[in-house]
Amino acid sequence: MTWLPKPSVVTTPRNAEIESAALPSKSISASLLRSVFREDRFFLVLSVFIGIFSGLAVVCFRFAIEWCRVHLLGSELVASPTRLLLAPSLAGLVIAVLVIHVFPLARGSGVNQTKAALYIYNGYIPFRTAIGKFITSALAIGSGHSLGPEDPSLQIGAGLASVLGRRLHLPRERMRLIAPVGAAAGLAAAFNAPISAVLFVIEEVIGRWSAGILGSVVLSAVSSVVVMRWFLGSEPLFRIPRVALVRPGELIAYAVLGIAGGLASGVFSSSIAILRPRLKALPKWTQYCQPAIAGLMIGLIGVLGFPQVMGAGYEFIDQAIHGQFTWQVLGILAGLKIVATTLSFASGTPGGMFAPTLFIGAMLGAAVGGVEQMFFPHLSGSAGTYALVGMGVLFAGFLRAPMTSVFMALEVSGNYSIILPVIVANTFAYVISRALQPVPIFDLLTRQEGLELPSMEEQREESIVRVEDAMRPVTVPVLSDEEPLDRVLRQIEDSLSDNLLVSLSPVGWNVITRQEIKTMVGEGKGTLSLRSVLPIRQLPHLHPDHPLEVALRYVNQWPLVPVVSRANFSKLEGIISREDVLNAYHAVDGEPA
Amino acid sequence: MGSRKFDYPVRESCNNMATSNSDRSLRWYAAREPIVLGVLTLLAIAGFAGVSALSRLFHRQQQARATRWYNRGTADLTAGSLRRAVADFRTAMLFSRDNYSYQLGLAEALAAQGSAGKQEAYVYLLDLWEREPENGTVNLALARILAEKGDKDEALRYYHNAIYALWKDNPDAERRGARLELAEFLLHENAITQAQAELIALSGDLPDDPALHIRVGDLFMQTQDNVHALAEYRQGLRMDHQNSKAMAGIGKAAFELGNYSLSQRYLQEAVARGADSQSTQLLDTVNMVRRMDPFQRKIPASQRARIVVGAFGTAGRRLQDCVSRAKPQATGSPANNEQTLSAQWSVLKPKITGAGLRRDPDAVESAMDLVFAIERDTSSECGAPTGADLALLLISQLHEGN
Repeated sequence: MTWLPKPSVVTTPRNAEIESAALPSKSISASLLRSVFREDRFFLVLSVFIGIFSGLAVVCFRFAIEWCRVHLLGSELVASPTRLLLAPSLAGLVIAVLVIHVFPLARGSGVNQTKAALYIYNGYIPFRTAIGKFITSALAIGSGHSLGPEDPSLQIGAGLASVLGRRLHLPRERMRLIAPVGAAAGLAAAFNAPISAVLFVIEEVIGRWSAGILGSVVLSAVSSVVVMRWFLGSEPLFRIPRVALVRPGELIAYAVLGIAGGLASGVFSSSIAILRPRLKALPKWTQYCQPAIAGLMIGLIGVLGFPQVMGAGYEFIDQAIHGQFTWQVLGILAGLKIVATTLSFASGTPGGMFAPTLFIGAMLGAAVGGVEQMFFPHLSGSAGTYALVGMGVLFAGFLRAPMTSVFMALEVSGNYSIILPVIVANTFAYVISRALQPVPIFDLLTRQEGLELPSMEEQREESIVRVEDAMRPVTVPVLSDEEPLDRVLRQIEDSLSDNLLVSLSPVGWNVITRQEIKTMVGEGKGTLSLRSVLPIRQLPHLHPDHPLEVALRYVNQWPLVPVVSRANFSKLEGIISREDVLNAYHAVDGEPA
Repeated sequence: MGSRKFDYPVRESCNNMATSNSDRSLRWYAAREPIVLGVLTLLAIAGFAGVSALSRLFHRQQQARATRWYNRGTADLTAGSLRRAVADFRTAMLFSRDNYSYQLGLAEALAAQGSAGKQEAYVYLLDLWEREPENGTVNLALARILAEKGDKDEALRYYHNAIYALWKDNPDAERRGARLELAEFLLHENAITQAQAELIALSGDLPDDPALHIRVGDLFMQTQDNVHALAEYRQGLRMDHQNSKAMAGIGKAAFELGNYSLSQRYLQEAVARGADSQSTQLLDTVNMVRRMDPFQRKIPASQRARIVVGAFGTAGRRLQDCVSRAKPQATGSPANNEQTLSAQWSVLKPKITGAGLRRDPDAVESAMDLVFAIERDTSSECGAPTGADLALLLISQLHEGN
């Protein structure tokens, strides 16, 4: 697995020839095997299969949720009060027993668990967890718990991929990669949005940009979406009416929505962050009834006149987009959904937070849009436009996935003209949410579990120390490889440096010590050119913009590493040694060098 | 990915180690790659087959539920239970969100609910329009909502779309209905010429339906195109000889055209068959016009003199009433005209008797000229005339220019 930029190392054909001649016979058979079986190609093909299997699993998951909903809540749009109260609470009891006794790892949304599989468990996700996630999440969402199917789909996809990888005896480095590949497939199928799924997996699961895995992630996401559309149709998740930004000044209205979304995101993540550890700290027997009590309270909200907050709520998002509710009702729904989702999630009920986030965003967006249009009737945005932007806003503010939030709005609406309002509003939401809740929700949940996983947001904050911060000017003699050793010895007479840089023609660098030259001249090799006596392997070089950690790979083995211009490899910008690297790190940490 | 590609020195030993570690799996794959791919393909095919069976079952159940709720919604909509119809259609859409008919049903139910549901209906209709811009029902529904909103240009656009759109059942009748509605909308918007143009286009394409002809005739009357109106009423009567509405229509159109004998004939028929009170009133006026016209042919001189004396008296009373109601005005003002007319009337009055008119038959003309002048003037200054004054005004219009 290669996360870092590839350093530039030049191997001349002659050197390669000599190297291959020196390889042991075992390696020859390995390279022969490699030529028969190309691992990269196989992994790409495997990604397609992962996508297909994940797509099939997610389709079944959707069927299961719908069957649970119809059988537990009935086929009416709004169930009877008895069902509203009984279905989520009784399902909560069953879920608690299943989670405690049968599927202990199925708890939570699934995003963190997949991330942990990648960074801690070498891509290992038990098959039982995927099965458990499927059953318990379908039961929870179908019975009306305020959770969504996307995050569980992500974990189901990752679980399937992990099982497949184990069955195929993939090496450890591939096993690590396979969980995010499956996660992208699961999420893409659940969301019917491959680009958003790929970006989300990179932003939230992998936690850093990696070109190496991108191809597999994209392939699996695309193939799972194809499978999903095969069975469930290709309609976008939401039907957004036409969007048109008539006046650029209207962006202010969307900025206000961004501020409101940022505040709501802060409240939402804080409430989960506060309630979840408190519920977990309660005596263990209470965990049997926590999901049931949460379900009862959510059912009560439904009985009191707001059944829209139950379940994933996509049908009600659609109604909000089409302007069914007044801004007052929309505001209440957004608030109650925060309460309901916090209850469901904090009680340990398995299920995702994507759908509730979209629900809250849509309701809040349409509510803010309604209020704004009351005061400024000339605003051209419809309720659907504000709802769509609101979804993006909560995505950026609550899930802290700013890139995904923009593409999600584009993908679910199929409308490019929404991009400016989305970017403006999301930026405000992201900044405000970060100020209110510095740690992103998924990182927070991970830390509550006692784990520390890489975070893209934190990575963005890190100040990177580069080679240019540690390199020093060239103070050692730079020799030409065509010079005879006698002349070289005369050239370095005045120099105090033991290590001498050699510029190779036409391009390349090497290093030699004063002592080595003296010895060879003493042995009567003074007429030989410097090139003929240099070691075969060239000295690696660095560029000033390389992260300093790249230099660490070389400074241990080589006394000096040249830092050269990217435009001209023969142009020396500086040199770097182990002491220079350590001094630079000391300086960053504020310690004396 | 693919760290083996990068054979830089520092990783050489690691790579060698990794190579030796993965040799076993490489051998495993090299030998089994086709088998692995074959098994995966078989698994995928089996998975597809299994999920296809599940999917068929799922969709069949969903469709059955959706159809049940849709049928219930349609029944509720027909019965006028709009709230229930809306809930039914929404539930149907829960199982088949993108079904065109369900969305259309919901939009129609919402629109029928009144202003509360109109906005939501409008958004659903826009969705549907984007999917099928040629759908007549959607275009007409959009036109109605926009017409109610007062967005004339957009409403006209959708009305025209509806006229030329595709209709599933009975397209000719639907197109005619849309055009008729458009004409009514244009009349409401006071776009008389445009409405007249639509009605003329419509009249050439009407089926043998007397009610429809009468309705178009009524609309022509509103555009003051009495000739076309008369033709439509006649068509209606030709198809239904006993149709009192058509008779009343002919009576009204003939009245507007000044053909009082025709008007009288049809209005009498219509009233005899129980036509509306407006027709009765109109018949009274027509009767008066016919009775009070001194220029009728073939009436004896004594009768003509009696009519003129009566008309002169009626006009005098109308003038007196008008002058008494008017406030004193500056010279040249309308009130001054009435004073002049009053003076003329006073001068002429002694001559306008039965004997006087017999002595001087030319006085008939001068008397009636003054009567007509008085009626015209007072109608503009003192409000619309009624009864005998109205009849005299109509007679004046009838003989204008003679």
